[in-house]
Amino acid sequence: MTKKKHIAIIGGGIAGLEAGSVLTRQGYKVTIIEKENKTGGLLNHWSSLFPDFSLPGEVLARIQPENPDLTLIHNTCIESIKKENGRFELFDKRHLKLYADALLLATGLSVFDASLKEEYGYGLFINVITSSDFERIHKAGQKLLTAQGDPPKRVAIIHCVGSRDAKVGNGYCSKVCCITGVKQAIAISRMLPECEVFNFYMDLRLYGSKYDALYLEAQKRHQIQFIRGRLSEVSENQDQSLQLKAEDTLQGRPLRMQADMILLLTGLEAARQNENLCKNNHLELDENRFFKSENMQYHRNCSRQEGIFMAGSCICPMSVNETLDSARSAAIEVDNYLTQKER
Amino acid sequence: MKMVVQQLADDVRLKEGMNACMNCGICTAVCPAAEYFEYDPRSIVVAVQSGNEEKIQQLLTSDTIWMCGQCMSCKTRCPRSNCPGIIINVLRKVSQATGAFVQSRLGRQQYLIMKTIGANLLRYGYCIHPSAVDIQNHPEQGPVWEWVYSNREEVYERLGANLDREGPGAMRKIATNDLLELAVIFEQSGGTVLWQSIETHSKNKAIELGLVDSQGNPCMDLYTNYLLNEDPEF
Ligand SMILES: Cc1cc2nc3c(=O)[nH]c(=O)nc-3n(C[C@H](O)[C@H](O)[C@H](O)COP(=O)(O)OP(=O)(O)OC[C@H]3O[C@@H](n4cnc5c(N)ncnc54)[C@H](O)[C@@H]3O)c2cc1C
Ligand code: SF4
Ligand code: SF4
Ligand code: SF4
Repeated sequence: MTKKKHIAIIGGGIAGLEAGSVLTRQGYKVTIIEKENKTGGLLNHWSSLFPDFSLPGEVLARIQPENPDLTLIHNTCIESIKKENGRFELFDKRHLKLYADALLLATGLSVFDASLKEEYGYGLFINVITSSDFERIHKAGQKLLTAQGDPPKRVAIIHCVGSRDAKVGNGYCSKVCCITGVKQAIAISRMLPECEVFNFYMDLRLYGSKYDALYLEAQKRHQIQFIRGRLSEVSENQDQSLQLKAEDTLQGRPLRMQADMILLLTGLEAARQNENLCKNNHLELDENRFFKSENMQYHRNCSRQEGIFMAGSCICPMSVNETLDSARSAAIEVDNYLTQKER
Repeated sequence: MKMVVQQLADDVRLKEGMNACMNCGICTAVCPAAEYFEYDPRSIVVAVQSGNEEKIQQLLTSDTIWMCGQCMSCKTRCPRSNCPGIIINVLRKVSQATGAFVQSRLGRQQYLIMKTIGANLLRYGYCIHPSAVDIQNHPEQGPVWEWVYSNREEVYERLGANLDREGPGAMRKIATNDLLELAVIFEQSGGTVLWQSIETHSKNKAIELGLVDSQGNPCMDLYTNYLLNEDPEF
C-alpha cells in the first residue's frame, strides 16, 4: 500500500472541520491548523442560528471529526505558503514547517471593525453595539440592557454597516447580515416584548429558503418595523440615548428618531492573513480580498494555484449550511486532484 | 439646441459628482437644506441618473435646485461616492445658460445674487465687502449695521482689520493686478458668458412681466424690486 497522501487545512472553523472529516473518511491524512486555542471559528460566538434558531453547538457536535488520521494543531497561525518539488510547505511565526501534498484554505471571515464608521458612534457612544456583541450577550443568557442598566424601550438595527460602502472600501454585500438582522430583531422582541424594534435597510436581501418566512414572522408576530433608508449618522443625547438621522426613502422625507440602543449589522471581510498567504505562489485575492476562484461557475473551490483549494467563507460570505456544502465540494476537488496526480 | 442631458454631460464636474445612485437616502438625511425645505437631494440625483429629458428640464425650471447650500456634507457620506452637491452645481449652470432659471422664483434670484455677490467679487475681490452692504439696499441688516456701516473706518480699525487699505490684514484692499487676474479667470472659465446669459434672460423676463420704461425697454430697477417682493410659493 502506498503511503497515505497528506492534506493540510488552514483554519479550523466549520469549513475546515467538515472538509477534514470528509477527507479522512476518504482515506487521507489530514492536519488542521487553527490559530485560536479552540476550533469552531465564528460559530463559537453565536447564540442561535438563522433560519431555524438551532444551536451552533449542535452543528459543532456533529462535525467534530474524530479519526486517527486527523491531527489538530491549535494556537498556530499560518503566515506563508511555499511550493517546493510539488509539495507545499507551511510556515508560522515560530518557523513551524509542515509539508503537504495538497492544501485546503478554510480561513473564513473576520468581522468589519465598526469603529471605522465613525459617524455611527461605535466605541464613542456607549449604547451602540454590533451584531457580534448582541450574539455574545444573548449566548451568555443575559438580557439586553442599556449602559444605564435599563431594558431598552426602542432599539434600531442598522443594515449594511461596512458593506456596500465605497467609503470603507467594501463595495460588496456581506449577504448574511440582512437575515441576521431579522433573526436578532426577533430575538430582542422575544427577550423584551415591550421593546420597539426598527430595522433600517436599503435592500432586504433575504435570499435563502425560509428567510422570507422569518421576515413575515418578524412583522406579523413581533411587530418589527422595517424602514427603507440607510443610517446617515448617530448622535448621543445627554441621557446617553441616541438620535438617528436617516431618510425614509419611501416617503422621501428626512427622518429623526430617538432610540435607547443601536445595533450595527457589521459586514464580513476576508481573514486578514490571506494577503500574506498569496506570496511565493499563484494564489490570488479577488476585488473584495477573498480568495479568487479558478472559475466562478465551475471551479468555485479551486484557487489560482494548482494543488491549493478553498472551502467555506474564505471564498465569499456565506451561511452555515452553504459553508458545509462548500466544504464537502472542496473535499471532492481535493480528492480528484490527488487521484489524478497518482495516475 | 443640444439636449439638456448632453449639456449636463459636457460639464466635466458631472463625472466627478455622478457615479451611480442606489437610493440609500444618506445624502438627504445629512443635508441641512432638506431639513428646512421640500428638498430631497436623493431624488435630484435619481432624476439626473434617469437621463430623462423631461424630468431634467423640470429640475432646471424648478425652485429645488436653488435650495442647496453647497455645504458638501453629502460628498463625505455617499456610499457610492456620488456628490449631489456637485450634480446640483452642474444643473444650476445649465439652468443659467439656457435661461430656464427665470421660470422659478428662487431661480430668478440669480439676477440679484449676480448683481451683488458676483459684482462684489469682481469689484472688491470679496463676495461680501462691508462697503457694498449699503444701508438703502440692505434694510434687513437693521440699526446696528446702520451704525457699523456709517462708522466702518473706525470699527474695523478697532477690530484690527485693514479695511480698504494697502498691505496685509483682514478686509485689505485687493491689489489691482490680482483683481485683473480674477477678471481673466472669470472670463476664461466661462463666468462672463453666464453673466451675460443671466442678464439677457432676466431682461426678457422683465419685459414679459411688463416691467418696462416708456420706450418699452426692460426696467431693471422695477425688476429688482419685483424680485425682492416676490411671494414665496412654498
Ligand atoms: C453576527 C453574525 C451572526 C451569524 N449568524 C449566523 C446564523 O445565525 N446562521 C448562519 O447560517 N450563519 C451565521 N453567520 C455566518 C457564519 O458565521 C459563517 O457561515 C461561518 O462562520 C463560516 O464558517 P467558516 O469555517 O467558513 O469560517 P470561520 O467561522 O471564520 O472559521 C475560520 C477559522 O479559521 C481560522 N483561521 C483564519 N486564518 C487562519 C490562519 N492564517 N491560520 C490558522 N487559522 C486561521 C480562524 O481562527 C477560524 O477559526 C453569522 C455571521 C455573523 C457575523
Ligand atoms: S446582506 Fe443585507 S445588510 Fe448585509 S450587506 Fe447585504 S444588503 Fe446589507
Ligand atoms: S447618498 Fe449617494 S447613493 Fe445614497 S441616495 Fe444619496 S447620492 Fe444616492
Ligand atoms: S451640498 Fe447641497 S445637497 Fe449636499 S448636503 Fe449640502 S445642501 Fe445638501
